[in-house]
Amino acid sequence: MFDAFLTAFVQEMASIKKSVYKILLVSVLPLLCFGMVIAIFEGGVLRGLPIAVVDNDNSTLSRKLLFNIQSSPTVDIKYHPTSMKEASSLLRSSEVYAIVVIDNNFMKNVLLQKHPKVSVMLNTQYILIGKILKSSLMSTIMSSSAEVEYVKKLTTLQNPHFVINSISPIKLDIAALFNTNQNYFLFLVPPLVFSIWQIFIVVATIVSFGTMFKNTQEKKFFEGGFVKMKILGKLTPYTVIYFLHGVLFLFYMYRFLGWEFQGSFGVVLFSMFLTVVAYEGMALLFFVTGFDYARSLSLGAVYTAPAFAFLGVTFPTISMNSFALFWRDMLPVSYFVELEISQANYGLGISYEITKLLCILAFWIVFIPVFYRFQKRVLV
Amino acid sequence: MSFFEVLKSEAKAVFSDVAIVLTIIGGVVLYAFLYPQPYIKESVSEIKVSVVDLDKTQLSRKVIFELNSTPTIDVYRVDLSIKDAKEALLSGVVKGVVVIPADFNKDILLNKSPTVFVGGNAGYFLIFGGVVEGAMKSVLSLGASFKVANLLKQQIPMGEAKELYSPYSADFIELFNPQNSYTQYVIPAVFVLILQQTMLIGLGILGGGINERIKKGERGYFSEASPLQLIFSKVTIFVFVFFIHLMFYFGFSFEFFGILHLANLQNLLIFSTLFLFASAFFGIFIGLLFGSREIATPVVLFSSLPLVFSAGFVWPLEALPEFIRYISLLFPSTPAIDGFLKINQMGADFSSVLIQCRVLILHICVYFTLSYVLLYIQRRRRVVS
Repeated sequence: MFDAFLTAFVQEMASIKKSVYKILLVSVLPLLCFGMVIAIFEGGVLRGLPIAVVDNDNSTLSRKLLFNIQSSPTVDIKYHPTSMKEASSLLRSSEVYAIVVIDNNFMKNVLLQKHPKVSVMLNTQYILIGKILKSSLMSTIMSSSAEVEYVKKLTTLQNPHFVINSISPIKLDIAALFNTNQNYFLFLVPPLVFSIWQIFIVVATIVSFGTMFKNTQEKKFFEGGFVKMKILGKLTPYTVIYFLHGVLFLFYMYRFLGWEFQGSFGVVLFSMFLTVVAYEGMALLFFVTGFDYARSLSLGAVYTAPAFAFLGVTFPTISMNSFALFWRDMLPVSYFVELEISQANYGLGISYEITKLLCILAFWIVFIPVFYRFQKRVLV
Repeated sequence: MSFFEVLKSEAKAVFSDVAIVLTIIGGVVLYAFLYPQPYIKESVSEIKVSVVDLDKTQLSRKVIFELNSTPTIDVYRVDLSIKDAKEALLSGVVKGVVVIPADFNKDILLNKSPTVFVGGNAGYFLIFGGVVEGAMKSVLSLGASFKVANLLKQQIPMGEAKELYSPYSADFIELFNPQNSYTQYVIPAVFVLILQQTMLIGLGILGGGINERIKKGERGYFSEASPLQLIFSKVTIFVFVFFIHLMFYFGFSFEFFGILHLANLQNLLIFSTLFLFASAFFGIFIGLLFGSREIATPVVLFSSLPLVFSAGFVWPLEALPEFIRYISLLFPSTPAIDGFLKINQMGADFSSVLIQCRVLILHICVYFTLSYVLLYIQRRRRVVS
């Protein structure tokens, strides 16, 4: 029985060595895709987002405000259009993401205590960029205003400490727990990489069995029984290779780049192994629907391609509808990524992770119909 | 062979192939439904938060009430100790914690500026942003009301006091997507990518399949027709089918999911046509490179996520490394997403997408020439042998 497993394993390794396509699938292609994603988010934090300012006041106070805005690393005042029309076309064509407008008599109105407003027109079509710009501009404008108030009150109240407290009666201490430096690299790269990784597992599994059936070698392969063992033996090279890809990526993130990892690598590695096998099972489930290579690839595509959107990393699960949550539950990678995030960010206790592990393990059940279909198909 | 005969044989090859039909018709329709699902509720609201009230005064209860009344926050539980709140946060029962310090009320009255602590799991950005936004809104407006109250104590009338509490302030006008709707953000861009990718897979399966048959020595319309006939029969079929899809996506689907469409029909048609032709020529070109039917689906699939994130609408172009920008510009989806967002979501003039048009025209020319050359070489080889 073990011989059957071993023979299938050795045969598959040999077939990988012979096929350029299979070699690419297990080596260069995944590394290339992971590398692309890593390169895209290399910077991690957004800097120098272009904005335009229309300064109709051109006073010492407005120039001071603009100076403060320009000193924030997030924004870069790229244009000084003279008219609103010009400014709005810059915004529409995404040359800039925001326009700051200072009305004339701005300084005069401040001195007259008329509480003028600085208008900021913000492009929120690009939500992420919009949110970052809004919070950066808001805090700059608020602190610049407080600066003016501080100087003004100092002349009457004199005690600087008392002045600060009277400017803001309640202070807010905002703490980003876990991903403390709020870096997008750490936030987006692992979920993206594992979303691509699961596509590779499904594709490689279908390619391996698909080419065998396409070249009608399956009768010869399954000759002499031990169907289950042979299937597992044929899968094992891919289990090992994609597991190692995952390990390599984790090593790169948390050892080579040195991102903080709070929890247990053991749990992550164990769940990663469960995930690889779960996806191989799902891939075979698509395959046994008709033992058709191209069609099972199409099914695999529909199943794996949208996974990232359903992970709940960018758009949270609490706001998803029940269908989206159902689809999410049908993807092993959603449990795995959740576990990876909780282990990396705050080292959640193992007891909290058991449900996720069991959910991934539950996908292994698909091997029952898979084995059954294979036995019926090849042992006639 | 006449062009019409080639077209007929080509159409038969396309529509009798289950894998192609499944992708270019089934897939396109399915994705239109599937992709928007996570975002149907559009924005993040009612995030569960735990408040630790160490003050237990009427004022601290007012803070809790104010927090709960913001749209983004739902005060799910009030904990007595920071430890309990921390546990709730770790186990995921709540997504954020607000701590009101002891002597909060007293310190405000003594003008000592007490500090309210707000913490959230920043591993999930949108949730963290929602918690912070809600807390800022409620706590700071409460703070402002104290400032106004203090001014009133100095015998300054209410109307004036309200304006006086800070020298100036910011007025944010959010344009193009004021509700911060995620559907509006993701779907217009992803739909463009889906159209391109399904077209590439369809043409890739077709091209790879023909290459397989040629390798086996089979003969058919693909060995008899001229390169130009072969290219334009494919272009005609795919542009026609995807033109209908595009109308369905930008028309019915946008309407159905409540997405803005600002472009006028004429501009939209011109830009769409360029995009469809560019994608079709690109698909024919890559189809000629694939040795078998089954290579297209995986290769196109792998490219999807890198393409989405290098298109500039999530992560700005300014922040992308140069070489990623150049690689992504090889795909029609990159200029197309940029252009469609500008004319359709932001109502930009057609003149501001001229660069994108030029890139698409360049794609058409380059991929047409490359396809022609490859087909020509293929034919020469066959004649020689």
